[in-house]
Amino acid sequence: MAAGGRVRFNVGGQVFETTTTTLANAGRDSMLGALLDSSWNVSSSSPSGGGVAEYFIDRNPACFAVLLDLLRTGSLHVPPHLPEKLLYREALYYGLLDHVRAARWGAFDGDRIRLAESVPGRAPGDGTAIRAAPDGGCCVAHGGAVRVYNWMLDERRPVSLDHSQVNDAAYLDAATLLIAARERLGKRDGGMAAFSAVSGDLRHRFRVAHDRQVKSFTAGAMAFDQESRIFASCKGRLNEYGIGVWDRVTGEQADFFYEHPGCALGDADKLQWLDATNALMVATLFPKADNCFIGLLDFRAKNVVWSWSDAGVAASLDDKRVLHAIAMEDERSVCVINQYDDLGFLDLRSGAGGVRWSSRSKLMNRKVPGEESCYPKLATHGGQLFSSMNDSISVFSGPEYVLTSTLRRSHGGAICDFSIGGDRLFALHNEENVFDVWETPPPPII
Amino acid sequence: MMNGGGGQKKRGTRIEPFRHRVETDPKFFDKSWRKLHDAIREIYNHNASGLSFEELYRTAYNMVLNKFAPQLYEKLTENMKEHLEDMRTCIDAAQGGLFLEELQRKWNDHNKALTMIRDILMYMDRTYIPTNKKTPVFDHGLELWRDTIVRSPTIQSRLSDMLLELIHSERTGEVINRGLMRTTTKMLMDLGLSVYQDDFERPFLEVSASFYSGESQQFIECCACGEYLKQAERRLSEESERVSQYLDVKTHEKITTVVVNEMLANHMQRLILMENSGLVNMLVEDRYEDLTRMYTLFNHVPDGLTTIRSVMASHIKDTGKSLVTDPERLKDPVDFVQRLLNMKDKYDNIINVSFSNDKSFLNALNSSFEHFINLNNRSPEFISLFVDDKLRKGVKEANEEDLETVLDKVMMLFRYLQEKDLFEKYYKQHLAKRLISGRAASDDSERSMLVKLKTECGYQFTSKLEGMFTDLKTSEDTTQGFYASTSSELLADAPTISVQILTTGSWPTQTCNTCNLPPEIVSVSEKFRAYYLGTHNGRRLTWQTNMGHADIKATFGNGSKHELNVSTYQMCVLMLFNSSDVLTYREIAQSTAIPAADLKRCLQSLALVKGKQVLRKEPMSRDIADDDSFFVNDKFTSKLFKVKIGTVAAQKETDPEKLETRQRVEEDRKPQIEAAIVRIMKSRRVLDHNSIMMEVTKQLQPRFMPNPVVIKKRIESLIEREFLERDKTDRKMYRYLA
Repeated sequence: MAAGGRVRFNVGGQVFETTTTTLANAGRDSMLGALLDSSWNVSSSSPSGGGVAEYFIDRNPACFAVLLDLLRTGSLHVPPHLPEKLLYREALYYGLLDHVRAARWGAFDGDRIRLAESVPGRAPGDGTAIRAAPDGGCCVAHGGAVRVYNWMLDERRPVSLDHSQVNDAAYLDAATLLIAARERLGKRDGGMAAFSAVSGDLRHRFRVAHDRQVKSFTAGAMAFDQESRIFASCKGRLNEYGIGVWDRVTGEQADFFYEHPGCALGDADKLQWLDATNALMVATLFPKADNCFIGLLDFRAKNVVWSWSDAGVAASLDDKRVLHAIAMEDERSVCVINQYDDLGFLDLRSGAGGVRWSSRSKLMNRKVPGEESCYPKLATHGGQLFSSMNDSISVFSGPEYVLTSTLRRSHGGAICDFSIGGDRLFALHNEENVFDVWETPPPPII
Repeated sequence: MMNGGGGQKKRGTRIEPFRHRVETDPKFFDKSWRKLHDAIREIYNHNASGLSFEELYRTAYNMVLNKFAPQLYEKLTENMKEHLEDMRTCIDAAQGGLFLEELQRKWNDHNKALTMIRDILMYMDRTYIPTNKKTPVFDHGLELWRDTIVRSPTIQSRLSDMLLELIHSERTGEVINRGLMRTTTKMLMDLGLSVYQDDFERPFLEVSASFYSGESQQFIECCACGEYLKQAERRLSEESERVSQYLDVKTHEKITTVVVNEMLANHMQRLILMENSGLVNMLVEDRYEDLTRMYTLFNHVPDGLTTIRSVMASHIKDTGKSLVTDPERLKDPVDFVQRLLNMKDKYDNIINVSFSNDKSFLNALNSSFEHFINLNNRSPEFISLFVDDKLRKGVKEANEEDLETVLDKVMMLFRYLQEKDLFEKYYKQHLAKRLISGRAASDDSERSMLVKLKTECGYQFTSKLEGMFTDLKTSEDTTQGFYASTSSELLADAPTISVQILTTGSWPTQTCNTCNLPPEIVSVSEKFRAYYLGTHNGRRLTWQTNMGHADIKATFGNGSKHELNVSTYQMCVLMLFNSSDVLTYREIAQSTAIPAADLKRCLQSLALVKGKQVLRKEPMSRDIADDDSFFVNDKFTSKLFKVKIGTVAAQKETDPEKLETRQRVEEDRKPQIEAAIVRIMKSRRVLDHNSIMMEVTKQLQPRFMPNPVVIKKRIESLIEREFLERDKTDRKMYRYLA
């Protein structure tokens, strides 16, 4: 545009000079991109004397300095005196909020994550579940409502499905939140619905029909596949237990996998779609069911292609009981955890064999008597395995899943749920109703 | 004063507590909107240079920040509509051809303005739009353009008519502004696929259908098939080019379907069967290009290739049938087979070149050949004769490779034969003659033919033929052994003989009429018999005088000397003339005892073949009567010292011979049929009549088609011989015994 591609800004009285190349990093879809676009600079394209073009912008110069630095270097440095919210607001003005978010924290690595923030909740009672959004936000299910936070950890309007007890929540994408809720006796409510994660508006209510009759139901765990399907465990009033399937685009029911005797599906705690295997993993666990059942469902042939159960194995309460399960990313095994914090593995390729426990309990039995404990949870990300136990989260890495890090915070009590997504880890504590946000700092300068 | 009634006194000034909200300027929205409104007007008027983007952006930002986004959105819609209404008036006013240009100009203006408006309202696009599920500003502008301009009653039909008219004139050969067409259709596509499809594509396809339906009607009345197809091909490529030039890619398949339907599918039968130029003519005249075109074009038509294939097949059957049933062709077996081979080559070529070697076409070709070759029951014989001819001539006419390919092709014909056993019979006879008369030109070719037959017919058949080859080899050794063991004095002056010992069974049996050999030969052959029986115990030797040949030295009256290569019969006849000058037919017949038919043939070849008249016949007629007399032709001359007197040998069979061969073949089939029946019954134990018939036919089909009557007779015979029995309750069931 101007000579040497130099551009001068006067922001709120402070003059900044930069180059068009630096500004090009903002993209055409930003305020700065439009400002410099040729359609807005028809006559002033060459100011007299080959001088530098100057643009006045009536905004905060301190924030502009930070954002200009971000465009120059790609990394974000916020001076201590500058409130983050102020920076975010200015970034939104310039259309650079996505740039800020991308530079705000680094790519997820379980061994490098640091506690970034603790967000106290205001809802009464215990939280049920916490879910990370793909863009770095999260939501917390509390009783009859779901509290939604954007990635700046600003709380949005809570979402609820007739204030029925929420069993599970899941992000279909950054803007769509699914909620599974319990049906209350005598009221035809509960079920499953999609909400806008931004505005909190109800978008769609998923229906289940048995014999062409729409019936109310209680939805439990949820999962999606890569293309177009949404799965949820469903309990109907008349023993209509099973896995419901809906089309993601139309929202219409596409299928229903009815529960066979011996494989509990309607009460499932965990659903997970296995893309390479083209099957859905269903895990129904203690204490929801007396016996733990884990199975893989093939929806094309409508059969259970693999299953495992501890029926008849666990006799007393002191026996090792599977309390949570997750299919590993290579889809070759299912990882399970018991009340003693032992990890176990089930081979998905062979039919039998049972759980191969790696006994860590002798080393790590650090249970504090009297403290309220929570059931352990498992998660995987980028080849790492995460398990929560009491007030800490253990990180296991490598092909043998060696314990490499322990994430712990001094207060907040036991962790009742955690979730990884948008390059962040969110951990929900049982006491004090607080959740922690863990993120990876940007890589070191050298 | 100050004290009196101070409580009732109103205060002069009052400072209100700061508790109500800070009121924003009540005219804030109107003022802000006015600013944007004016700016948008300037933008549409191409007068944006005076505008400050920063100011406008900030204004819009503040409006959204103050929760005026819904009103802003509404006002914007209203305002853009107004501008578009103005544009519509301009476009409406454009005359004739300028219409599209004006539309294009306005479209560009609108697009440009829309980009700038979007820039101003970017903040709203980021915040208000996604949370309230509104259409983003830019897309909203496109929707407004669609509803206000493209789908306005005055423009919608005019636009589509104009586009279709231009396409029509391009189809009739005029040059149109393709750039304008492209930008216009691009506009429709930018407005969404449904706009392009509803407002342009559908009417375009309808108009195209009626255009091509009319054109094809016109062409088919006056064009030959080849020309018509050329036209269709040209039209198809024109439409492809049109799509690539200025239509959406997805239209390609649809317009192709329209052209194919109208120009080809609707006239398929008429085109393919067109008289004097249809498929049959193309095949007859080997018009590869036209055939290729027909194949590729009708490949698009459902059932197109099936139709071509069946027409081709029936044509091949017809021509083939007229070829094999033409009595003229029966006269020359070699020519007959050569014609078949030529025909096969012709169609192989056509399928290879024009029909992209389509498997289904090859199958049709094969089944057609199979059909008509078997219409003539002499085909097996003729094919064998053709091979005989080729193997006699050997590499004299062609090099080894060519001979191989010819033989391979013949094997193709052989595969079509239903009566393979008949061919085998003839082949054996002809091979025998070739071997005995030493006419097999190349041992290698003979052997390679043998290998081919082995793969086709199996070891059973060729083992006998291989036996024939070994017989000849051992005969050579035996003759050598005979001469080595017999003292030369004993054989002095006696003619040299070479004996071929043929194992009975390996060779085609022939009724043997031993003739009277000349005494010189008799003495030496008796010595050989003694030698042979002396070395091989328990064998029987009979002389097959009808098969041998001899070289004799002759000195004629004029003093010329020649060596004559003749058959054994001819030798016997000629030797008689050593002792007498004139002999009548009757006398010759008496002293040689050669069967009449053979003798007559033999005399004809000695006396009547031009240039080789060793004997003179009185009277000089073709037929030979009992009293005709024969002399040595003293005036015999020949440029060559060695003269080969032709034998009327391996010719196609005469009628009685034919009948005989057929009977023999039928005889040979009986045990084969019986064996098949027994094989089947042995595994099935019990079977009904129809199933047996079916199974037997299935088993024997690769060799020949068994006659149901014969099968039935064989079953009867097997029942008589107690291999089978009829079920006592169900007469239709047979039961295997033993």
